[in-house]
Amino acid sequence: MTAATVIRFVRTRREATVLAMLILVFLGLTFASEFFLTGRNLSNVARQISVVGIVALGQALVIIAGGIDLSVGSVIGLSAVTGAIVSATTGMPSLGIVGAIGIGMAIGFTNGVLITKLRINPFITTLGTLSIARGAALLITNGNPQRFDNWAAFLGYGKIGGLPVQFILLVALTILVWLFATRTRWGRNVYAVGDNARAARLAGIDVAKTRILVFTVSGSLAGLGGLLLGGMLTNANPNLGLGYELDVIAAVILGGVALAGGRGSIGGVVIGAALIGLLRNAFVLLNVSGYWQTITIGLVVILAVGADSLNRRTEED
Amino acid sequence: MTDCLLSARGIAKSFDQNRVLHGVDFDISAGQVVALLGENGAGKSTFVNILSGALPRDAGTIVWNGAETVFRDTRSALDAGIIHIHQELSLISSLSVMENLFIGDYRTGRSGVIDRKSLAAKARELLARVGAAHIDPRVEAGSLSTAEQQIVEIAKALARNARLLILDEPTASLTPHEAEALFAIVRDLRAHGVAIIFISHRFDEVFAISDRVVVLRDGRVVGDRPVSQTTRAGIIADMTGRAFTFDALDKPAISAGAPVRLKAEAIADKGRVGPISFALRKGEILGIFGLVGAGRTELLELLCGIRPLAAGRITRPDGIVPVNSTQAWQSGLALLPEGRKTNGILPSLSLAENVAVARRQKQGAILDLGGEKSLFARFRDSLGIVSEGPQQPVRRLSGGNQQKVIFARCLASEPEILFLDEPTHGVDVRTKADIYRQVQDLAKKGMSVIFVSSELPEVLALASTVMVLSRGRQTMLAANDRLTENDVLTAAFAQA
Repeated sequence: MTAATVIRFVRTRREATVLAMLILVFLGLTFASEFFLTGRNLSNVARQISVVGIVALGQALVIIAGGIDLSVGSVIGLSAVTGAIVSATTGMPSLGIVGAIGIGMAIGFTNGVLITKLRINPFITTLGTLSIARGAALLITNGNPQRFDNWAAFLGYGKIGGLPVQFILLVALTILVWLFATRTRWGRNVYAVGDNARAARLAGIDVAKTRILVFTVSGSLAGLGGLLLGGMLTNANPNLGLGYELDVIAAVILGGVALAGGRGSIGGVVIGAALIGLLRNAFVLLNVSGYWQTITIGLVVILAVGADSLNRRTEED
Repeated sequence: MTDCLLSARGIAKSFDQNRVLHGVDFDISAGQVVALLGENGAGKSTFVNILSGALPRDAGTIVWNGAETVFRDTRSALDAGIIHIHQELSLISSLSVMENLFIGDYRTGRSGVIDRKSLAAKARELLARVGAAHIDPRVEAGSLSTAEQQIVEIAKALARNARLLILDEPTASLTPHEAEALFAIVRDLRAHGVAIIFISHRFDEVFAISDRVVVLRDGRVVGDRPVSQTTRAGIIADMTGRAFTFDALDKPAISAGAPVRLKAEAIADKGRVGPISFALRKGEILGIFGLVGAGRTELLELLCGIRPLAAGRITRPDGIVPVNSTQAWQSGLALLPEGRKTNGILPSLSLAENVAVARRQKQGAILDLGGEKSLFARFRDSLGIVSEGPQQPVRRLSGGNQQKVIFARCLASEPEILFLDEPTHGVDVRTKADIYRQVQDLAKKGMSVIFVSSELPEVLALASTVMVLSRGRQTMLAANDRLTENDVLTAAFAQA
């Protein structure tokens, strides 16, 4: 690679812009705070990145396929309480895991079926299930947090070889989803459907199945996210994950996925999630008001996407 | 030339390392119709996009109306009176015709409220000027036919006091009758001193309406003559650098004993097309001709399981009758749909993926990416796809090359029956010839082909059997041995 091709790569790939931001924030924090590079803080950051990252993997597939899934935040809440209740009532934590992921999968599948069979717009469908899932979580718990401290919760708070379990899960799932998206027929069909659904259908792709698949994956990963978040707090609150969909979508967009579908890389999404996690950590360490944190994340999204579309415009014409 | 309305000198343009225009000189005077011809990728679109301010030029000067001018964007070109009507029409389909006509300039009073009555009156006046007084200015633009929309686009140009009108393949989706109406308007505009640049791949039209013919090849002007000094053969030679005619194709003979691959008995959908019956044999090329709207695309969709069958029966030797396009491809059918931008290409995906996409659906879950690259390389060579490499997004290719990519997609799935819907729509002569030669070779090797075309000479040159549709009905099915253009046209206009 010559210098010119490196510059071209950085200019034309949003992932690269965001990776540069990530490195900048990382270096900045290293100098700005003596607590940043401590094992305790880093594993905190890793945990923060993990749930957003895992849920963003599914969201990325949905957005690449030309859809959007607003229900993930509510699914996190519902699956956390489902996991807690199922393991408490049956006494079998393993069933709790199945319950948490299963309820997410079921909601995702329902989203997919509503969108493809009844042809309801994804935004509307998932706005509806966002409300329904949150309501269901409050209903079955009567609004009360559930204890969640058996071994299934270990996924959320535990460590293996000094690394948080959820971070290991994030890495494993990233590799898995990346392989799916780049090396399998179904993964590539996701891109084709998002790029031009009509053409994809006429080329023999089963568009409905592809869409149902991505929503099911997104729901399942949100279910896993709920399990991890509940486990991390050893307490499953029905309001868990409130507003989470915004962080997740921000991570996906930061990672270079086109909201119009058809374009984006899985690696970029994880970088996006990492940047958001790191920024949140930065405000805690630097003792800045949490309100600024929210504003900054908004600014970063606009900045990254704006820089990218400026570049894209000059490149396309 | 002092009486030139527009005079371009040494216009050059590159995209990345790819030089598209090498110093193009071009003049046009008021009241002149200049045909701009060239193969796909010759630089026609790039050139007219520079004239209309949609693209910046790298070098060269444009003198407009006696003064050197730089149009920074389409807005400033529009204000000067240069209006570019694209091949893909740009009316806003949910707005009314009159709103489209005056879009961006509703001429509201100080109150800012649109006076719908006077707007409608002005719209009627404009529509009458282009001979389309029958169009109600209050209806949604999307409810009009393609030909009517085209005419509204021209009326819109008049509303903006067009002095130079650029028509990019205006007749591509018009019937001969509609095209004739369009030419009447063009002649009228010429008489009123409007200069017109006319891009087309249909030679008879070029000869019918233009005063001068300019031919581009590989970004250079290779011919610039008054129409009286040009011949069809001369233009083809200019465009391709070699002579070519359709007569060079020889029709394959199919033996009467060849097995039947597909049989349709009185098939029909819900009202648009049918009843239609035919039997397609191994190695047969069935050419379907008909006017736009005759139900040709609908027939292909019926056969491929995309459109539900309301009556009749389709039989195939293996007994599989697909009910959706996934099954169609899996059972050995391949479809090249009409409208490559909307129905064909996957624009952001790579060339290799665009070729492999249909074939993948028959294969295992794990992709053979290396194999797909060599698959692309094979078709790149055999079809002559001009590209930067297998990873290039297909949207960056010229229209003709995109069409070759979709053609390659069909061939890559190794179909038993190949369906081609207007495969040469908006494709230059060389690409047309390439595609049809390939079709013939494939038929000789035993593939059966059903193709739809609006270009009668092509149907007669290529098909072993000709079917004609008129308003959804089958008005002719005959072996193509002694058919004349007259026979086929008569059937196409028949009131079945």
